[in-house]
Amino acid sequence: MIKLLVPVIALFGLMTVVFLLDRPEAPADLVFVNRGECHTLDPQRMSWMQDFRMANALYEGLVRWNNDTFAIEPGVAESWDVSDDRLTYTFHLRDTAKWSNQDPVTAHDFVYSWKRALYPDAAADYTDLFYKIEGGEDFFKFRQAQLEQFRQQVSELSNGDEAARLELARQLYEEAEAKFDEIVALKAVNDYTLTFTLANPTPYMLDLCAFGVFCPVHPPTVEQYVSLDPLSGMINQEHGWTKPPSIVTNGPYVLTRWRYKRDMRLERNPHYWNLPAVKAKSVLSLSVEEPSTAVLAFETGTIDWLSDVSGVDYRPDMLAQARRYLERHATRYAQLESQDLGYGEIMATLAAETPPGPDERNNIHAFPAFGTYFYNFNCQESLPDGRPNPFFDPRVRRAFAMAIDKSDLVTRVTRLNQPIASTFIPPGSIPGYHSPAGLGHDPDQSRTLLAEAGWELTEKTGTLIKSSNGEPFPMVEILYSTGQDHEDIAQAIAFMWENELGITASLVGKESKTFGEDVKHHKFMISRANWFGDYGDPTTFLDLFRSTNQNNDRAFANDWFDQRMHEIDRELDEEQRTRLCEEAERFIVEEQLPLIPLFHRITVYMYEPDQLHHIATHPRLVQYLWELEAVH
Amino acid sequence: MAGMIVRRLIQFPIILLCIYTITFVLAWLLPGNPLEHEGRRPAPEVEQAMLAQYNLDSPGRFYVSYLKNATGVSYLQGDSDRIFNFGPSLQYKDWTVNELIAGTLPVSILLGLASIILALIIGIAAGVVGAAKPGSLADLATLLVALVGISLPTFVIGTALLIVFAVKLSWFRVGSWGSLGDLVLPAITLSLPYAAYIARLCRMGMIDVLGEDYIRTARAKGVPEVRVHLHHALKVAFLPVLSYLGPATAAVMTGSFVVEKVFNVPGIGQHFVESVRNKDLFLIMGVVLTYSSMLVMFNLAVDVLYRWVDPRIESEG
Repeated sequence: MIKLLVPVIALFGLMTVVFLLDRPEAPADLVFVNRGECHTLDPQRMSWMQDFRMANALYEGLVRWNNDTFAIEPGVAESWDVSDDRLTYTFHLRDTAKWSNQDPVTAHDFVYSWKRALYPDAAADYTDLFYKIEGGEDFFKFRQAQLEQFRQQVSELSNGDEAARLELARQLYEEAEAKFDEIVALKAVNDYTLTFTLANPTPYMLDLCAFGVFCPVHPPTVEQYVSLDPLSGMINQEHGWTKPPSIVTNGPYVLTRWRYKRDMRLERNPHYWNLPAVKAKSVLSLSVEEPSTAVLAFETGTIDWLSDVSGVDYRPDMLAQARRYLERHATRYAQLESQDLGYGEIMATLAAETPPGPDERNNIHAFPAFGTYFYNFNCQESLPDGRPNPFFDPRVRRAFAMAIDKSDLVTRVTRLNQPIASTFIPPGSIPGYHSPAGLGHDPDQSRTLLAEAGWELTEKTGTLIKSSNGEPFPMVEILYSTGQDHEDIAQAIAFMWENELGITASLVGKESKTFGEDVKHHKFMISRANWFGDYGDPTTFLDLFRSTNQNNDRAFANDWFDQRMHEIDRELDEEQRTRLCEEAERFIVEEQLPLIPLFHRITVYMYEPDQLHHIATHPRLVQYLWELEAVH
Repeated sequence: MAGMIVRRLIQFPIILLCIYTITFVLAWLLPGNPLEHEGRRPAPEVEQAMLAQYNLDSPGRFYVSYLKNATGVSYLQGDSDRIFNFGPSLQYKDWTVNELIAGTLPVSILLGLASIILALIIGIAAGVVGAAKPGSLADLATLLVALVGISLPTFVIGTALLIVFAVKLSWFRVGSWGSLGDLVLPAITLSLPYAAYIARLCRMGMIDVLGEDYIRTARAKGVPEVRVHLHHALKVAFLPVLSYLGPATAAVMTGSFVVEKVFNVPGIGQHFVESVRNKDLFLIMGVVLTYSSMLVMFNLAVDVLYRWVDPRIESEG
């Protein structure tokens, strides 16, 4: 009997030991759940929204946004000058800006950080934003050619000769550094003056400078993790420096703990120059992957802010409860609104006056976001299998767009009442930009357009055939990625097209990585898609339609449009430039329709309106953690 | 016995190499580009550079370099500062696979141990009670519990427990991990299917054994009934449970994706699913190698234990 107990006791002892190694700690001022686990805290390699949220808390760029108006405010730079030709920018850095180890933040740190982004060795999603600086793209390609040269030369060397390989790598690296100084127009004039020259006037360059990938890193810290790889000749970057205790940051917070898919703890950075602006002393970012668990955790009060409620099928019902609450208080809401109060203040006032009744709620909030959900047309002359592509004809694309009842999609399919989209750029998201009208829902017009394009609806069978030879319209394939409500939307749209246009449609659902590859290589007829803008300029959306753009999944190529985008690149007059952008978007969403905008994206938050303050509602939905204030 | 252990240890690297090769082929054949994600796409030359960073542009180079790093060859050659280097995670760039496994495996081991202990206690108790009077009400009750444990999916049991005990009664926290209380609900959820299985194994074993001659002898000698069951019968009836314990412990310790999700437990189970979904080659290989090593080791441990508990079993068996 004793023998039998031994394994049980051993297991028990082991368990106690493991448990003792894991202990709890003090609560934080602000507890929130980010959109997902952070992928990296290296600003130059970031590409996910949750990473940028942390970048804004840990680092500070030259400038930052006012997250209500998206006006540019000083960050590390106190002031800046822009030359008359809009090409040369000079930033004057404040001497009070410090790294969390008390080192001063200098112009050299920015040069170092931006240079990292331009090395193919550390290639990242946003590398090409740095191409805007004169010589940036040439430098990237120069270094790439160097690495290729290294590969060839090394194959001639004997395999064991590591020293020779390392020497060659070092030589090439030094050459590259010299080349950078020579050709890239980015300079630290002195410790506190940074200047760069752009290849083209870029009116949104300041907006970009506030974007996470333009944040500085602390060079001495990063350098400890950098080495040359004798096998590839590349700079090898270990990422240990992004974790405490190594990480050194210059923003409102310092990172004191990061446990993968568990939590991140931030404490106020005592050396931050603008310390009084930082509301919460400590922030805990919890990782909760399962959406239902996150909602339950919020309901039990352990979380102040749930920054992305998605993936729970009762979300539309919760939003309906929120709508009921607002409907009941519509008059009071309007009254408060007329006193110039923002959404947050109004909701807090309402919460204090009348808490939600049964089957109502005031702690879930849907905000329009800076993105659009749409369907791509493959605009190539022939389909992947070689058949002629009916969607090569813009009239057919317009017809298919006008046959969709988008309001039906958002009220009955997604049930989230997203703002329906007839334009690609969410209206009202870019100051001074007036969106074109776009196309409405008009099935009769669809059929007329199809007739013009040589497709007619037969009376007898109700199917769409080619007028010239009676051939039926090819089967329309809709490609979507599995998961979320993509399939429901595809089904609804297929049904609308079959009903209104007499075509047959088939749905092809693929797992997201495969889906992504198919879309990239234009292996589809129609595919679902999503786009979120990166910066506050129409080109963050319009660039997609340039024939040479890497995100041109539609393979759309139009000389007039390319020419127009080229003009936009060169235009110095901002007013005129905005008009050109409006015209370009009108051309896309009213004439060419390489895509069908379906609805603009919303982001759903959960927070108690009287317990969390200063959530920004501007569609770009940038929330600075240091601005948020939780009242417990 | 020593011979058996030596033989098994020699087989160990061969088994792992086979598993590595098969997993590598399958993982490489997974459709899709591991660096692809929804949203903005890097410039083509940048994408090429990204693939080159990770050897993802050549399967041969990847296979060899990963094998060298993961098995300690690179360490011996002085190219790596870790003995077993599973490389970086493609999806979570700031983490190495070693760090990801080191951070999550202890959590899973802890939860797994708690669950397996719980499963043993519940399972053996239910098995013994059930076998004492087969067909009785108590037996039927344990049968019912076992049936529920085996057939109800863990996400249903988990969510139900969460809503009742954490949300309604507020006995436990939701979605937290860090105190003893956070362990209770996930451990119960994870243990139920195993407990059910152990209960059935134990009950069957007991019923078989209770019909043996030596039990009749013991009873005839006047040994108290409780002692007959617990001392004489259980010792033998426990053997099938013991052999089940090896794979069960390995499985339970390498985490359960569903239980981890429902209770937000930061364990290793998530990597098995997420790494494949993200086509994170380094992580796929890393977790598979870790899991297979654990499985082989636990089976060996159980075999050793088996022979120690029941010396009748020959080492050659």
